[in-house]
Formats: sequence, structure tokens, C-alpha cells
Amino acid sequence: MRRILAGIETEYGFTIEGRGTNDQVEDAMALVRKSPNGCLRFWDYRFESPRKDLRGFEVDQLSIDPTDAVFDQGKAQLPATEIRSDHILPNGARFYNDHGHPEYATPECYGLKELARHDAAGEIWVTDCAQRLAEELHKTVRVYKNNSDYHGASYGTHESYLVPRSLGFQKLYEALVPLLVARPVLTGAGKTGFEGRSPCDFQMSQRADFFTEKASVDTLYRRPIFNTRDEPHAPPQSWIRLHVISGDANLMPTCTLRKVGLVKLALHLLEAGVCPKWEIPDPASAMAEVSRSTNSEGRIDLAGASWTTPRHILESYLLAAQPVVSTDPELSQLIDDCYSLLEARFDRPDDFIFQVDWAAKQWLLQQALEPGEGWNTTAQKSLDLQYHLLDPDEGLYTGLVAAGLVAHPSHQELAPLLVTPPSGRAKARGASVRLGPEITVAAGWSNLRLRTSRGEQDFALPPDADYPDALDGVSDVEELGAILNGL
Amino acid sequence: MIHADRTTKPVEPQPDRKLNDEGGPSKPDLNRPSAPNELLKRMKNVDPDQAKKYRQRSGE
Repeated sequence: MRRILAGIETEYGFTIEGRGTNDQVEDAMALVRKSPNGCLRFWDYRFESPRKDLRGFEVDQLSIDPTDAVFDQGKAQLPATEIRSDHILPNGARFYNDHGHPEYATPECYGLKELARHDAAGEIWVTDCAQRLAEELHKTVRVYKNNSDYHGASYGTHESYLVPRSLGFQKLYEALVPLLVARPVLTGAGKTGFEGRSPCDFQMSQRADFFTEKASVDTLYRRPIFNTRDEPHAPPQSWIRLHVISGDANLMPTCTLRKVGLVKLALHLLEAGVCPKWEIPDPASAMAEVSRSTNSEGRIDLAGASWTTPRHILESYLLAAQPVVSTDPELSQLIDDCYSLLEARFDRPDDFIFQVDWAAKQWLLQQALEPGEGWNTTAQKSLDLQYHLLDPDEGLYTGLVAAGLVAHPSHQELAPLLVTPPSGRAKARGASVRLGPEITVAAGWSNLRLRTSRGEQDFALPPDADYPDALDGVSDVEELGAILNGL
Repeated sequence: MIHADRTTKPVEPQPDRKLNDEGGPSKPDLNRPSAPNELLKRMKNVDPDQAKKYRQRSGE
């Protein structure tokens, strides 16, 4: 069975005392630039192509939110590279300013637990930068791992999966969309209220209200359930990078693991030719409906006036995947855990609540309601926001962890991941960071340009090669070049 | 500063819709344990207006 390389990019929400959205790009730049020494401070954009569509065309421009379009009117524009403020970390991760949000993109990982932990380690990097900025400015800086501002603005947490191009758009769409629609039941981060869709008190997903399209290349506005961006970060003749934009930023690493693992199950089923077939005519509306079914099994309308529940869809994937992934202990465990959670949701809620972000948040926020008080209030939304605050003393998720109700890896367990690349090609990127900017002229997901004794040379980082552990100890460019040439 | 609300008004108001009215099978809420005092104290300290002030730019 093919191992699937995956990564997660999270755009963080943040506030600086006395500052606002007009200042957000400059403030995100300042926060990102508080990264410590030991990073590379550039990114190689030669192989980036966000306007290319998997369906074989390229759009002239991507849609943007008209509200955001006015923020920078009349301001002098800095060069794009200045605005981005790119950093490459010793673990092979990328940290930069993306549309006014500090974005941490994990190094690409094979393992589910490995990726969930790298995602959680990213929180430490971002909050450490925020702390340094706060000390410099003498102002409070708060960082939120969420996807919504409750006023109609959303910012993303995207997943990337390396898949063979031979699978093609149509098969990927059919295999993924039903799962993405149903997935919030087990992976949503929860949200009080609604933004742009039908009223509700509380829903499972941070992001569900922000999707209107079935499939498109856009990510900033008129967002699709299935994003068709064709930017493989690998040889394009062989690979697609499946770019999933419909997921939430999870606080619980176990939710992050489940979010990624479920997509991997769908991909393995597709590659084995046994993926369940569900035809959902309006997946964006269906996902919003699923998100609202916090007190019921929910309903998903299917083609032909039929309907089903998100649980049935999820269980169809789990059942089909059992024999396909039986040799993979991590994916097999994921299937068992998902079955248990679906069974526990209504019958043994204690076994569900503290394993799923939205359920833990709903349980906690219910405690604050006075008899007769409604959910859809600013006070409840303020508590909702506090769930996502990355502060060990004030955050509500961190409060659940401190109370021993939710398991979260310790700082001591996570911090080493910020300087240790996972297995795979991130090891080569990490080695280039250690060699520094005197040696590394350019670096990206799929390539390095190094200054060798024979001049500047480009090295490809094939995504499916075996990268030896020797890369962790590389101390000169000739040694690194020899390893990369031998892949 | 720009603080205009975005287009977030409900596009299809459904006044008759209730939480357990999706048409799918539903189950009642169950009794659940209460949060520890330390956690309740954290919740009491939260600025009840912070969500009103929290504004972000759209990202991807």
C-alpha cells in the first residue's frame, strides 16, 4: 500500500491591542519576522501556480472578498516577497504572512500522529513569535487557532495530500466530496452562531458556512467544497497535490489526526477501486446542514430524492477501508476509533465529548448558559472565541487540558519537533536550513538551489524517494549534494 | 478602521426550522457532567464583548 505524504497549513487569527484589520498585513509581517535566528528567510516561488486548475485550464485571476479589497486602497504596496516575509524552519516547515494571517505550514509527513504533532508544534512557534512581538510593542498580542471572526470573514486550515495524477479530477471529486461533507461530525472545531447560511445556535464546523461551490480553483471567496488548484509541489506529470480547504483548525491533535486519516482512507479506497459511491447534488448546502445537526444524526440529500445521514456515509468508508488498509496499524486504529466515536455520540457522550473539538466546546459553553438564556449572543461567541485562544492560562481549550479532561502533548514533547524534520523530503529542506543562506540560495517544497564547489546547482526533492537519516547529520554542501544526487 | 458587516445575513431564513427538525433520526440531549470550578472561573473572566471587537481579514 502506498504511503501518502500529507501536510497542514494553518492561517492563525490574531489581535494586537489598539490595532485593527487595516493594520493586519503589517502586523502579520511583524509577527512572522519575530521568528528566531536559524531560519532561512526566503522562499522559492518558481514552481508555484495557484491559478492552474486540475481540470486543465488556468484562470486569469482568483476571486477575492470585496470587503477585503478595500483595506489596502491608497496604501503604498511593498514587493510581494517583503509582504510574505517567508521563513523556512529547521524542521522543514514554512512560516509566512498569508493575506494578513501568520501561516504555519507543517513539514510534509507520512504518519498521522507525526503530522498531528507537527501541527500542534506549530502553535508553539506562532505563540512564541507573538510573545516576542508583545514584549517589543509593550502591547497584548493574542493568537487564535480558528477559522472565523463571527462577522463573515474566514481564514483557512488547508490539508495537502500527494496523489498520482492518473487518478484525475473526476474520480477524486467523487471519492472525496461525500467524505468531506460528512467529516465535521468527527472533526469539526465547533462554532456558536452562523455566518451567511440558515440560523442556528451552535454548529459543528467553523468553515461550513463559507462554502458555496462544488468545485473551483478559488480559495478566498466563493469557496468550493472541492478545490481544484493544480500546484503539485512535485513533478506535475506524475503527481497532484490534493488541496483540501473545507476542514477546520483543530485544537485537539486527535481531531487533526482523524481529519487527515479519513481523507487518506478515501484516497486508499479510490486507488484500490472500491470507494463507496454517494451522489450529493449540492455538497455545500449539505455540509452546512451536517454542521447544524449537533443534536441529531442529521440528513444529507442525495440525487434522486433520496437521503442518508453523515454517519451512514462515514461508516461506508470505514467498512470498505478495513480490508484495504489492514496492513497499516495507524489507519486500522483510526477505523476502530471512528466506529467507537460514532457509536458513543448519543449513547455514551462522555466517550465522545472529550475526543471531538466541537462537542467539547458545546459541552463547555452550555455550562455558561443561565436558564432561559439563548446561545446566539455576543457573550456566548466571546466564550467560543476564547476556546481557540492559544494561552495556557486564559484559553478555554487549554483550560480543558489543564483540567485533565482532554489529552494534549506537553510543550516538552512538542518543542523538539520544531528543530527535527520528520521522515521524507523535509529532511533535505531541514539540512539546507542548517547549512544556512551562504549555501542555500533558494528552497521550496520540491527543490533546493545550493552553492556548491561547481557553482549554483538545482536539486529536485522527489516526494516519493527514500531520504536517509544521514541527512540529519549533514554538515557540508558536498555531502548534501551527494545524497540528493543519489536519491 | 473598517467595521462594516460582511454579507452574512441568512440567505434563506427558515423560521419554522428547529434544531431537531432535519428529518433525520434524532436523539435527545443526555445529562452531562459539569465543568470543574477552575474552568468555570476562566469562563467568568472572559470579556463578554470580545467577539464583537474581534475582526479579521478573509484568508484562504
